[in-house]
Amino acid sequence: MFNKLINDSAAKSPWLYHINSGSCNGCDIELVACLTPRYDAERFGFKLAGTPRHADIVVVSGPITSQSRERLIRTLAQVPEPKCVVSLGSCPKSGNVFKGSYSVEAPLDNYCHVDVSVAGCTPKPEAIMEGLYKAALILKEKREAMHK
Amino acid sequence: MIIIRSLFYILIFPGVLFTAAFGLFLAGVDRKVVARMQHRIGPPLRQPMYDFFKLLGKETIIPHAANKIAFLAAPVIGFVSLALIMLFIPIFNFTAFSGSADLIVILYLITIPGVALIVGGSSSGSPYAGIGISREMVTMMAYELPFVLILLAVARKAGGDTLAFSMETISKWQAANGSMIAQWSMIPAAIAMLLVIPAEVGTQPFDVAEAETEICEGPLIEYSGAPLGLFKLNTAMKMLVMSGLFTSLFFGGIRTGFYILDVIVFMLICVAVTIVCMSTIHAVTARLKIEHLFKFFWTFVSGLALVSLILVWCGL
Amino acid sequence: MIQHFPVLAVMLLFLAAFCVEIFGSHNAGVRNTIVMIAATVAMVLIYALIKPVMIEGQIISYWMGNWEPVSGYAIGIGYEVDQLSLFFALLVVTTFWLSGVYSLGYMSKDHHLGHYYTLYLMLSGSVLGLVMTGDIFNMFVMIEIMTFASVALTAFRNDNEGALEAGFKYLVIGSMGSSFTLTGVALLYGQCHTLNMAQMSAILYQNLTPTSIMALALIVAGFGVKSYIVPFHTPAADAYMAAPTSVSMIFAGMVNKAGVYGMIRVLYTIFNAMDKSTVQMLIVIFGAVTMFIGVTMALTQHDFKRLLAFHSISQIGYVITAIGLGSALGLTGGLFHAMNHTLFKGLLFLTAGAVLYATGTTNLDKLGGLSKKMPKTCICFLIGAFSISGLPPFNGFVSKWLVYQAVYTKAVESGNFVYAIVTVVALVVSVMTLASFIKVTQAVFFGQCPVELKKTQEAPVSMLVPMYIMSALCVLAGLFYPLVNRFLLHPAAQSALNVTNYIDRMLGEGYAANMGVENIQVAPVQFSFWNPIVWLILFVVIFVAAGLVIIGSKEERGKMLQQGVKYDAKYATFFSGEEEMFSQVGGSDLFWGFKTDWKGYYRVLEGLHSGIVTDYAVYTVMATAIITVCMFVFMR
Repeated sequence: MFNKLINDSAAKSPWLYHINSGSCNGCDIELVACLTPRYDAERFGFKLAGTPRHADIVVVSGPITSQSRERLIRTLAQVPEPKCVVSLGSCPKSGNVFKGSYSVEAPLDNYCHVDVSVAGCTPKPEAIMEGLYKAALILKEKREAMHK
Repeated sequence: MIIIRSLFYILIFPGVLFTAAFGLFLAGVDRKVVARMQHRIGPPLRQPMYDFFKLLGKETIIPHAANKIAFLAAPVIGFVSLALIMLFIPIFNFTAFSGSADLIVILYLITIPGVALIVGGSSSGSPYAGIGISREMVTMMAYELPFVLILLAVARKAGGDTLAFSMETISKWQAANGSMIAQWSMIPAAIAMLLVIPAEVGTQPFDVAEAETEICEGPLIEYSGAPLGLFKLNTAMKMLVMSGLFTSLFFGGIRTGFYILDVIVFMLICVAVTIVCMSTIHAVTARLKIEHLFKFFWTFVSGLALVSLILVWCGL
Repeated sequence: MIQHFPVLAVMLLFLAAFCVEIFGSHNAGVRNTIVMIAATVAMVLIYALIKPVMIEGQIISYWMGNWEPVSGYAIGIGYEVDQLSLFFALLVVTTFWLSGVYSLGYMSKDHHLGHYYTLYLMLSGSVLGLVMTGDIFNMFVMIEIMTFASVALTAFRNDNEGALEAGFKYLVIGSMGSSFTLTGVALLYGQCHTLNMAQMSAILYQNLTPTSIMALALIVAGFGVKSYIVPFHTPAADAYMAAPTSVSMIFAGMVNKAGVYGMIRVLYTIFNAMDKSTVQMLIVIFGAVTMFIGVTMALTQHDFKRLLAFHSISQIGYVITAIGLGSALGLTGGLFHAMNHTLFKGLLFLTAGAVLYATGTTNLDKLGGLSKKMPKTCICFLIGAFSISGLPPFNGFVSKWLVYQAVYTKAVESGNFVYAIVTVVALVVSVMTLASFIKVTQAVFFGQCPVELKKTQEAPVSMLVPMYIMSALCVLAGLFYPLVNRFLLHPAAQSALNVTNYIDRMLGEGYAANMGVENIQVAPVQFSFWNPIVWLILFVVIFVAAGLVIIGSKEERGKMLQQGVKYDAKYATFFSGEEEMFSQVGGSDLFWGFKTDWKGYYRVLEGLHSGIVTDYAVYTVMATAIITVCMFVFMR
């Protein structure tokens, strides 16, 4: 009876959890900038959650360094379904300038299914918000698929 | 007949449905007002409702170190007690259930959601949750003292020579003698109550128990899905319960003559109380550390409430 | 026929004590049989008295050796069981029966069990005699037997460090208390030329001479030592911790109730002093201080049983405060809280004993995560913890509510602001009690399980059965308190406030009227806040809430059941991505913010609790001096 409401709400209230897997912090700064008054991601319902168990959208930034790879996989496993993974910046997409290094294990595709990829170094907050918005819509589709 | 009326009170108004819906609305008002104060647009007023329904649709993961029964039962217990309290709070002229000792029952029932959060956090088996529940318990100890002093002052004032712990008696006294907020000896108590409310609800600057960035959400760290949704709903309902308690204790003398108008005025005052004591303080302050929080409540806020109690005791 | 039951019960227990040592010191079967038969028969005899005494209102009087009073003077030892005595006798009998059942399993690993059961039966017999006797010197004799049996039982496990020291402290302070009582009894004998409590009550009615005031102060101090009011509370912490847990339960459930009974008997019946505001204020202030110091000391303890001991002290503070008010409501609240204290504190000590039996330690810093290994103990513990914190719908809520109402009513009636402060203190102490039990829950039952405790098992059935019985009684007393009030509390309160019946029954009709004693009728106490409609509310709301959760998580329930998988990161605790490691937050790590703020207070308090017996003796004497001075200077 409430299914339609629950399915719609999946897109209207996506909570973010940010994982930094070796990033230079540039993308992290731009992500937090999305939540500032100038760009205001909260009007779409985005909120930073403190623990992966509360998260819907997992935002991963940074090339996956060897040291952080295991922790990344473990944390990703702890997120409840339905979840979306967004790779933030060019580092998780291809390794960016660090590609070929001995301690970098990009791309993120090797370890989990990436739903949305926001490229750039660093991507502008508008681009990040568009990516997150698309992830929210994908969340709704996943929720509908889960329920059937 | 009385069974059907009781069921209506329990389930629809002012019981489960009204408390849940209006509580979520108040939580939405809080977020919107904070956003506006920060020169943002902010989420729509229905955002907490979307949050709740989204959480109902998420998967519930129970960690293997958790005690399953306590983990799942804790939010339900909190929900039940909050719905029960709302039945004892009079909406100006109308009280669903009233006895002769409402204030003490309310005092005890209000500690139950806090205890439910603590038991839920403790049973999840996470060390972050252990720190969170320790802070939550110290917060509860901190705000109980001024809260008790405020309730005793109100009971004495409304009782005159006898005791008046019944909410209906307090409401009728205010209708006859003017609202409590208009008595100058009760103003320190009103200010103290306005400071106790954000601590009970757990918003900044008193949200050290659920510090998001510091201890990863504290007691709620391992919760996901429907139990988490119930806990968030409990927080929202607690906002309504505390604002409603404040309204009926300090503004209870308003009588408009029409029942529907009474309800609307009550809701408006609750919104005003939320904006003043929860959103404003939330937007302009940072988080207090636990030892400062305890000292603040046991010195400043208790001092205000004690001043009121002494003034009332001397007959003023 | 029934007038022989009280004496039979007490004598049977003493006889069984000797028989156990003679016949059963090497044979466990004989020993257990003797103990259980004695305990059960005594319990049946006392329970058989409920109908005549409580319901029909008779008072049983029995003169030992048939030495009836001669020309109006009582020369023999008399046993008089009125409703107040029977109330406490029921508590005593239930406690020692449950403790006996518990001991069968719990003490099975110890040696010299013949000695243990002898002492246990003597302790039980002496407390039972204490509450049922009508002669003040007989009461003193029973106190002495109780003290020595308790001392020996405290030091029973004398290979534990601290057991002998605890026994020594108990011996010194307990003997001081007994000496004060004896001096008071001697003074009273000199004043009244009789040792029978009923006759003394008639002689001293409204007729307090300086000698009798001195006697009152000394006897109140003596019984204060027995019920562990601050500052007489010092041996309690060590004694409760060092004694075997079945004995700790008796201490917490029976022995300090004997002290409370003694105080009620002395203040209400013999001296009839409870209408004087000095005495009321003195007792209430002692009670308030006891409550507060007990709970603040409990918040910093590292040992489970020591923490429970300090809570015992604190809850007796509630009882003493309520009794000191002198009103029917206060007495009802105090008696109900005494009964509930026996039930929930006994239950908590039994769970502590189960934890000690299963893991070998009660150190809060070393335990953790036992709810999965000992689920039934955990549930019983939670019921006890919620009862003592006063959460509805358990019994602690009702009795604490009565105490608050009594104190605040007194505050409003007398206009005295001190009583309002006492109400506030009582409410704050209640929250601190809750905090302290949350600490124990997190440190012992929830949280993570250390490696050493991975193999613990649930306690044996003979230990679980008393726990179940007490949990059921806690819940029932909370739900059906009007019945409890009608059958147990109202008769007891009535008989305490109304000495005429007491005197008449022992010494003959009309004796009281001849001496000028008035008859007081007590109206029954009203309970008006919890009616059946509220139960309907609760059930329906729970149903709706459960429905919400179930609807929402319908399809995810399948996944929930898979959590028994060995190690799957999805179901591991969140450690910011690290592998799960052992880092239990418990025991000393909790509430540090609170402890930081109260550093100065705790420095003073822990300095006072130095552990040196001479310090404790000085506190005892000082407190007795204060009581004496207050009574003389302010008595009006």
